[in-house]
Formats: sequence, C-alpha cells, structure tokens
Amino acid sequence: MAKKLSRIFLLSKLWAVFLEGPTTGGYPFEPLQLPSGFRGKVVMNAHLCNGCGLCVQDCPASALKIERFDKQHFRIVYNPARCAYCGQCEISCHRGAIHLTNDFNPAVQHIGNLIEVLVERGLPKG
Amino acid sequence: MSRFTVPIGPQHPLLKEPLSFQLTLEGEEVVDSVIRLGYVHRGIERLSEKRTYIQNVHLVERVCGICSHVHTTTYCMGVESLAGVTVPVRGLYLRTFFCELERIHSHLLWLGVLAKNLGFDTVFMYAWRDREIVLDIMEELSGGRVSHAANVIGGVRVDINDSQRKTMTVSLKSLSQKITDLRNIVEHETNFHARTRDIGTLTAEQIRQYCIVGPIARASNVDVDMRRDVPYNLYEKFDFSVITRSEGDVWARTTLRIQEAQESIKICLQILDSLPPGAVAVRAKRRVPPGEVICRSEAPRGELLYYIQSDGSDRPARIKIRTPTLPSLAILPDLLRGINMADVSAVVSGVDLCIACVDR
Amino acid sequence: MSFKVLVFPGFGFLFCLAMLAEWIDRRMIARFQGRVGPPVFQPLADFIKLLGKEDLLPTGVNEKLMAALPLISLAACLTAGMYIPVAGVSVNNFEGDLIVVLFLLSLPSLLYFLAGWSSIGIYSILGGNRALLQFFSYEVPFLLALSGPAILNSSWNITDIMVNQSTSIWAIFVLPVGFMLAFFGLIGKLKRDPLDIPKAQSEIVAGPLTEFSGRKLAIWHLANQIQTVVGIFLLVDTYFGGGVIESRLATFLLFSFLALLILVSLSVMSAMYARLRIDQLARLGWKRLIPLSLLQIAFIVWMGKGF
Repeated sequence: MAKKLSRIFLLSKLWAVFLEGPTTGGYPFEPLQLPSGFRGKVVMNAHLCNGCGLCVQDCPASALKIERFDKQHFRIVYNPARCAYCGQCEISCHRGAIHLTNDFNPAVQHIGNLIEVLVERGLPKG
Repeated sequence: MSRFTVPIGPQHPLLKEPLSFQLTLEGEEVVDSVIRLGYVHRGIERLSEKRTYIQNVHLVERVCGICSHVHTTTYCMGVESLAGVTVPVRGLYLRTFFCELERIHSHLLWLGVLAKNLGFDTVFMYAWRDREIVLDIMEELSGGRVSHAANVIGGVRVDINDSQRKTMTVSLKSLSQKITDLRNIVEHETNFHARTRDIGTLTAEQIRQYCIVGPIARASNVDVDMRRDVPYNLYEKFDFSVITRSEGDVWARTTLRIQEAQESIKICLQILDSLPPGAVAVRAKRRVPPGEVICRSEAPRGELLYYIQSDGSDRPARIKIRTPTLPSLAILPDLLRGINMADVSAVVSGVDLCIACVDR
Repeated sequence: MSFKVLVFPGFGFLFCLAMLAEWIDRRMIARFQGRVGPPVFQPLADFIKLLGKEDLLPTGVNEKLMAALPLISLAACLTAGMYIPVAGVSVNNFEGDLIVVLFLLSLPSLLYFLAGWSSIGIYSILGGNRALLQFFSYEVPFLLALSGPAILNSSWNITDIMVNQSTSIWAIFVLPVGFMLAFFGLIGKLKRDPLDIPKAQSEIVAGPLTEFSGRKLAIWHLANQIQTVVGIFLLVDTYFGGGVIESRLATFLLFSFLALLILVSLSVMSAMYARLRIDQLARLGWKRLIPLSLLQIAFIVWMGKGF
C-alpha cells in the first residue's frame, strides 16, 4: 500500500472549489426548491371524507382528533404542533381525502393558533 | 502531578448528542474515564407496546436520526414475517435502495463530524456538501430528508419513475467521483494522518471480546456484515464486496467507511439499473397472528437486532431493539485510558457513537 | 497626538482594518469550503452584538483582573500598531522599536494564558497551559526570524529596515526560510487554525476564553483581530520592504496587495490543515523550526551583512 503523503495536497482542491463558487444558497432571501412529494402541512378534501376515523386511529403523534356528535355529525381537528409529518394519514385514508402539502413553515405567534378544523359536519351548538 | 477531572458532556462541542464523560487527567494524559448514559432515553420500547403496528413504524423511525430507515426496515421485516406478508420485489429493491443511500449519508456525516472534531473544517464542509446529493435523492422520493417514512408494513410507499431514475444515476455517479476526492484527501493529507494513525487502535481479540460490530469491527479485520452473512432484502442479488482493513485505528475506520460508501453507490446503481416493474406494496392486515421473531440487518453502524413478540392483537406485546453502538460505548473507557487529551476527540468520534440509538 | 492615537494609525484606523481583515478572512475560508460566507458588515455586527450581551463571570474570580486582561491585550496590540509603518508612512519610530513591537505583540499570548489561569474553569486552565506551551514553541522561531531582516539591514528600527530594503533588495529574496518561519510564528501567535490548540473547540470548548462573555469577549476578539492586522503589516514591512517604491499611490497599492496576499495565505493555511496536537507542535517547534532559525542567523552572520 504505497501512500504518498503531501502537506499541500488540499491546495489544488481548495482552488478548484474557490473557482467553482459556493454551493450553498441564501435561503431566507432566495426561494427554496422543494420536491413535489415534500411532506408538509396536512390538508383535507372535506367533501371526500366520510368520517371513518382511520387517519385518527393510525396517527402516531395524535395530531388528528375526531369529535363525534352523532352518526353523521363529526369534526376532525388537526394540530400541526403535534404533527410528526410522517404521512401515515395519507396512506391510511381509503378515499384519498388527505394529502400533505409543501407548506413547511407555519409560524404563528401563539402555538394554539395553529390548530385548525379540517372537516366539519354539523355543529354542536345548534 | 496532580490529577483533575474534566467533564465532557452532557453539553460539549465534541458531542453531537448528550452523553457524559468524566475524564481524569494527569497533565494532558487521560488516566481514567467514567461514562454516563441516559440523557436521551425516551422509553421507545415501552411506548411501542401501547401503539398499533402501523403507528410503530413511525415510532421506531425516531429511534435514531441518522439510521432511521434501517430501523423501520428491520421492524417491518419482522412484522411481515409474523403476519406472513410477502413484499413485492420492486418494494424490496426500493427498500434496499434507501438502506444503501442511508449508509452513504451516515458515513459522510460521520466523516464530517470526525474532521470537525480534528479541527479540519474544510473536509467537514466538503463531506456534508456531498451528503446533500444523497439527501436530495431521498427527499425527492420520500418527501423527507432524514425521516423518510418510506416503509409501510407490506412494502414501501415511494416509487421511482424513469426520468427520476436517469437523473439519480447521473447524480450518484458524480457523488462517486466526489467520494473518491474525499478518500484522496484522507489518504494523502499529512496532518490528517498525524492525528488519526495509531490512535484508538483495537485488536481483533478486543473486538470479539466486546462483541463490537459494523465498520469498527471490519476496520480491525473482523469480517462481519449482515448483508452478506444473513442476506435479507435481496442483498444476495447484488454484487458488492465487504471491505476489511487490518490497521484497526481511527484512520482505518475512516478509509473503510469511505470505501463502504463507494460500495453502497455501486449497489444503488445496480438497483436503478435493474429495477423490476410491479407494485411496491401489498396491504397488510392490522392484526398480527401470535408469535415471536428476531430480525437482523446491517445498519450503517453495524448489526441491528429487533425482537418482536405478538399476542394476536393489533399491538405488539414486546419489542426489543439492540442497536450496534452499545458495545462500542462499552469499550470507550479502555480506549481512552492513557491517551492524550487532544486525541479524545478523535477516539470518541472514531467509534461513531449514536447515543439516541443506545438510549432509545 | 490625540489624532495619532484615536484616528491614524491608532484606534480608528486599526479598528476598521481589523473588521475588514476579519471579513476577508472569513469570506475567503467560506469560499474555499464551498460556502457563501458572511456579508461585509458581519464582523462589526458581531462586535456590537457581543458588546450588548450580558457580562457574566464565575464566582470566585478576581473581577478586576478579568476586566483588565482584555483591555491590556487590546492596548498592547494598538500600541504595537503605532510603530508599524503603513504603506511607507511612518508616524512614530525610534531605534529599537522592532524589539518593543515584538514584545507588545507577545503580550497578548501571555495575557491569554493569564486569562485561562485566573478564570477558575477547568477548560480555561487546560487552555491556559496549552497556550503557554504553544507560546514557547512558536515565539522563539518568530523572534529569530524577525531579527533576520534587522541584522541584514543593521538596524532595529522598522522604518529603517523598510527604507533600506527599498534601495537594496527585499529580505524575502535573501531569507525565504526566515519568512516561512515568521509566517508560521504568526499563525501560532494569532492562534488560528491549524494552531488553534489553546482554544481547540472539540476538546476544551473555548480554552482560556470559556468563562468570558459580553464586552470582555468582544474586546478579546477585537484585540486578536488587531493583532492579525499588525502582524501582517510587520511581515510586509520587514520582509517585503513595506512595498515602498517612488510614487505614493504605487506604494499604497503594492502594500495593500502584499498585506492581502499574506492575509489570504493565512486563510488558505486555516482551510488546508487539521489542528495539530500540542506535542506535535512542540516537537515541530523545537526539533525543526528553532534549529532552522538558528541556522538562518548563522547564515546571515556568515554573509557578513555586506549587502
């Protein structure tokens, strides 16, 4: 195993990288390229949902909750602060109602403001 | 000369994960060390008994932040063999593809951490820059950079189309070139040699005595590799060689890992070349018949073992995870005894600790 | 006098140059590593932000000493800057100012050790020990290397050394080895990569400066940056004749170019090497560099300084 040790081995490499220019980007000032399959915030096609509750049952982080008022009336509440963005709800949904968007930056002042109602069938107040 | 104790960790620039060393120094020489663990214990094994098999896929993915895919793969393999599900060939190919990408990613990450700890920031930046190629591929396929969530029980949920195959082949070939560059740096740079040669040397007897697995064992000429010894995921179909070295020092581990990354690229290219058509997953039942299974696989850091016991419900009765890093942690006090304080960083990063894996 | 102290070549001038030098250095290293690097106002922003941070000290330390150390270090570097001719303009000089400058430039290293020793933390003490060991390894070759041009030009006045060279020949052509030694010594003095042994991050956190924060840390950093500028100017003046040629503008340009060259070389060295171990440095210093620098002195004496 013949190895030539060199004290200036990296010099040419440094020069090549210098000429090549930086590979990092300036993200907050420049747009970020995300692949289409990126797993971000969960959204739901409310009219496709039949309230079977499989997504809620399979959610590993309990980010989805279902509140049933009676047989037809329910609502699904989503808490992005708990969400692990694993996409299990997307796999579990037989009706293709759920998918994950490219939105990865849901910053708010109060963490409670993140919680949103995805599906609402019937109101408890009535 | 008076002795004094230097605390390293749980928070210290040397450690990327919480772990505590109490080094007793005499001058600059380490005479004794005590290790404390448990700072990232999350009770995953117990937690997994409370969750369904489907939820556990995502739970075991979070055992480790670097080798996340191999954890889910091993877990899914176990559950599938209990449930009697046969995964489609295309699904297995894609699983292996992700496993190998993850190996490259883990080895490059490790090289960067070692270089950073040696004060060699340039190699750190280069290694992590090149690692981005792998992460981009995984992100494009699965939608996540490190938590891929690519596995489901019964297959995978990702698929490759033809245009992706072409671009990925090109970028993997360019990555191979870049890894060769990194290898040249490691082999030819004088200061890197000065800091890593004959440091933290382990003999084959020590490896066997402490049951050390993975790249550390292979760097000391102990020829173990689950991919070849217990073929799973169709590894027997691919042409790759298991690399061993005889030096057993930090430098040998470095070059060995870089060579392994290159072998992984070879496997990835073969997969992209010969990906069979078909489905990627089959639907599995929620309930798993009673039984127990032991599953082994080769994580980037060595042999990973899952023991799964089922009582016939939709939740496992017991899951036991044995991660490859624990034995290497056990040998650290031996390795640290009698070395220079400045070599602590090389030795500790040389064994590639994954504390999240160890604590679970 | 107050103009000299506060503006040129005193605090204001050196402060601006220090910020500029830090930016160029960081930017160059970033580019060598394939990164974008910080924008031009980043060093100033860092400095101002550090000034505004809370100033904490561990209990039991001598607070007055801890406050005085960075200030003395800064003062030493600034005073050294007063005697260094910039672009051929010499504001202050007297026979023997080279020795004073060398002494003032080695003060921060000793204060650095003292900072480690007097702040009680274990990392600081280890770092202080290492700083002192490193000091003995690089300081002797540095002093011997810089006395080369002085003996060559039969003067211990930096301005004289500079002016002499503009009429004869630059010292670097006669003593290339001496320049290498001085350059190496400068890296050690500034505690830059690959000789950042006393503040090796992955081993002893931040070395002697671990317990410093806020204003004190800002002043330590500023002192180090000003030391960088002064050290580079010293090398240009002694080994390149200060770049002095007939026209003032050409002198200015040549001087800037040479200073920039040395600064970029420092960045290249930082990017190119892994950190040495303290015993490796000591071995290198005492077995290679000090004999080399002694040989060089013997070489000058043998030449009979009849240049």
